[in-house]
Amino acid sequence: MRRRLVDSATRGLLFLTTLAGCSLLALILTAVVGRGFPSMSIEFLTREARDFGLDGGIFHQIAGTLILTASAGIVSFPIALGSALFQTEFLKSAGLKQALRIATYTLNGVPTILFGLTGYMFFGALLGMGVSWVTGALILAVMILPTVQISVLEAIESIPAHYRESGMALGLTPWAQIRSIVLPQSFYGIVTGVLLGLARAAGETAAIMFTATAFSGAGIPRSLARPVSTLQTHILVLAQEAVNPKAVANAWGAGLALTALVFALMLSALWARSRLRLESHR
Amino acid sequence: MSPSADPQANGPERNGRYFPGRGPAYWVCAGFACVALGAAGILLGYLVAESLPALRSQGWPFLLGKDWFVGENYGALPMIYGSVMATALALALALPFALGGAVFVAEFLPARARLIVKSIMELLAGVPGIVYGLLGMSFLAPWIKDAFGLIDGNSLLAAGALLGIMVLPTVMTLSEDALRSVPAEYRENALSLGLTQTEVVFSVAVPQALPGIAGAVFLGVGRAMGETIAVLLVIGGIDRIPSPWYDVFSPGQSIPSKLGREAAESLGYGLHWNALMGLGLVLLLMTMAVAFAGNLFLRRARP
Amino acid sequence: MVRGVERPRGFLLAMLALVWCAIGTAAPGGAAEEQTIRVAGSTTVLPIVSKAADRFKVSHRGAAVSVNAGGSGVGVNDVGNGRAQIGMLSRELTREERGQFKNAGLKTHAVGRDAVACVVSSEVYSAGVKTLTREQIRDIYLGKIGNWKDVGGPDRRIVVIDKETHRGTRHVFMQYVFGDEQARAPGARLVTGSNNEEQTKVAQSDAAIGMLSVAWINPDVVGVGIREGGKVIQPTLESVRDGSFPISRNLNLVTAGEPRGIVKEFIDFILGPEGQKIVEESGYVAVR
Repeated sequence: MRRRLVDSATRGLLFLTTLAGCSLLALILTAVVGRGFPSMSIEFLTREARDFGLDGGIFHQIAGTLILTASAGIVSFPIALGSALFQTEFLKSAGLKQALRIATYTLNGVPTILFGLTGYMFFGALLGMGVSWVTGALILAVMILPTVQISVLEAIESIPAHYRESGMALGLTPWAQIRSIVLPQSFYGIVTGVLLGLARAAGETAAIMFTATAFSGAGIPRSLARPVSTLQTHILVLAQEAVNPKAVANAWGAGLALTALVFALMLSALWARSRLRLESHR
Repeated sequence: MSPSADPQANGPERNGRYFPGRGPAYWVCAGFACVALGAAGILLGYLVAESLPALRSQGWPFLLGKDWFVGENYGALPMIYGSVMATALALALALPFALGGAVFVAEFLPARARLIVKSIMELLAGVPGIVYGLLGMSFLAPWIKDAFGLIDGNSLLAAGALLGIMVLPTVMTLSEDALRSVPAEYRENALSLGLTQTEVVFSVAVPQALPGIAGAVFLGVGRAMGETIAVLLVIGGIDRIPSPWYDVFSPGQSIPSKLGREAAESLGYGLHWNALMGLGLVLLLMTMAVAFAGNLFLRRARP
Repeated sequence: MVRGVERPRGFLLAMLALVWCAIGTAAPGGAAEEQTIRVAGSTTVLPIVSKAADRFKVSHRGAAVSVNAGGSGVGVNDVGNGRAQIGMLSRELTREERGQFKNAGLKTHAVGRDAVACVVSSEVYSAGVKTLTREQIRDIYLGKIGNWKDVGGPDRRIVVIDKETHRGTRHVFMQYVFGDEQARAPGARLVTGSNNEEQTKVAQSDAAIGMLSVAWINPDVVGVGIREGGKVIQPTLESVRDGSFPISRNLNLVTAGEPRGIVKEFIDFILGPEGQKIVEESGYVAVR
């Protein structure tokens, strides 16, 4: 009897912690949507910011975040894929494989502000790219590289052995194997990795605030050497102006837009991953 | 693009698999594989090289000094303290909920509900730091000010609580994964011995999953330690160790927040920059140690 | 068994092609461009330059002006290192800065005048703290005075707000209060960066003291009068104009060497009638 009691009490306690955690997080979502929604409108999303973001919209900031994120993904994807293929299909030395894996996991744990600072000194100062779109994109590309790489690697490694064996039985060369077995079978895993990486890049502030963005006057960059404006840094500036109700309202509006963008990427990633699971269980 | 037409390109056989030979594609892929290695190397090398002048001019007081004033003294201890304290607070506040939640979701929820809760958690792990910062300065800091009767809410506690909320989803989903990976027959055996379900969970599943849970916690610690923007907005920005040292209602400064506030001032220039890079190196070593420990546990967790 | 071959392969090949095109165009992207002026530095000067940039772009088609904040120290550093063509500076250059960037030949151009006020939360002001002496401000920043009742205010602990050490506003303020632009403030409870951040923190508190450009004073953030030898000098544009307010300063733009081309045109624009009107609109005193 007492054991039963302990059992239900523990269950209750666990349930309460879960409920507390979940409701805290629900609270966060409510706050972001509740505060951000009143500023949302077609005009807000499609107009330029004026008067330091107090007036007008966030069109340039949305565009800046999108192009910075997309270009980081475009640079990062082939590197991650090539690296994953190298580790699974080409490399025979277990020691070297281990070294590459350690490097990837190390990179994954590096605080983003350090990517920003050393990345700026490398791309911006040493290679002379300055505070610009290309500097920010390359820094973000390196930052999301481990995320993408780990996903792609796991997807390729989880391909069942009999797929490869049947490929070999058909007399496929290694390259034909990669093209017709490895890549198609890990397709959704690769997509998952890329989307997770993009979501990470889209939400990042510290790595780009000194390296890629301008406070005002950036607009849509006309070349890779120009700075961009982004939602993240826009919110940072407006947040520090929290006495002005217009600034606060627009900061929350931009915050909601950014959260929506990141959620869209994350949801696509979760969807792609569920497809991956489905396919591998077939 | 591919050298597959050439049968000579086929490499030797190992473990029943063919490896392609060293064509151009091999070298391209090899180059890509080295990008991560190179980036990690450059990062560490740069931080070490740039922080040497500061370490040399300040000596040990760099790590142990309590005074940081640009142009005079560079003592990193207040920032190291702030980072450690905020992270510890985050853990203390988040762990009960993260672990309790993980156990409940993994062991007691039906599959469908589990999937929903986990998806929500993973989404929340993706909420940008700047949005958490906005939440922290609009809600958390004022709330802490009123609840504890402080003169100002920006404090180590505000930073720690915000970090706790930020890492909760990460720690919870990864711990849940660890619990789910404990084979079902362990539980069934224990159940058949007449144990109640919670007894099974705490005597079989949790101990089995412990390395994985520890790994999850360490990854959460790493994430909390490296967060810049959210902390910068609520920690108060004072390079000072409060007295008494456990006074978490005092303002403080963490390493990433210090870098975020001061780095633009001397980007790449002078002793101030060297000292900031010294801080960066300390931060990198701290997070690397945490990540290393975490991966050690996670690897042990995998069969 | 081997399924889904055709669709993903085409997709992946297309992606790869796209990637290489992107990298191909990215490689020469670092090259310089002609018509962009990069400006960085003080948040005090920023409103002038930002507004001026918007109007300058209308009259000079094809010119782009990107403006970044960061503080006066950042502005000098960026110009000295060639990262920006114009730095914004809410104080004069220090001797260290002149020495550090000797080769750049830094040159300042005063575009306006401003005063740094000692500001308090409106609750403190209306409770009776209308003026402070230099000694009182000093003791508050040193932590010797910790409660508003010691300077004639309510019984409330003082939230002392300091600024990051490289901010021009702090240099000027500390020069007046301590006679040393790099003085320390052990009594501080918070450190802020930009004028906006400082203004926000003072307004949100009911017991704060801070330092702020007069252009940021509003009903929530009130500038106290400075009591000096029996006289009280109010932080207003009038007392800046007649030179009586003790904590005033030039707002400068700094360039590496004599400005040329589009950079010169932009600075001349700010010094011209339209630009000086913007200076007045922003809450400062025009220099011409």
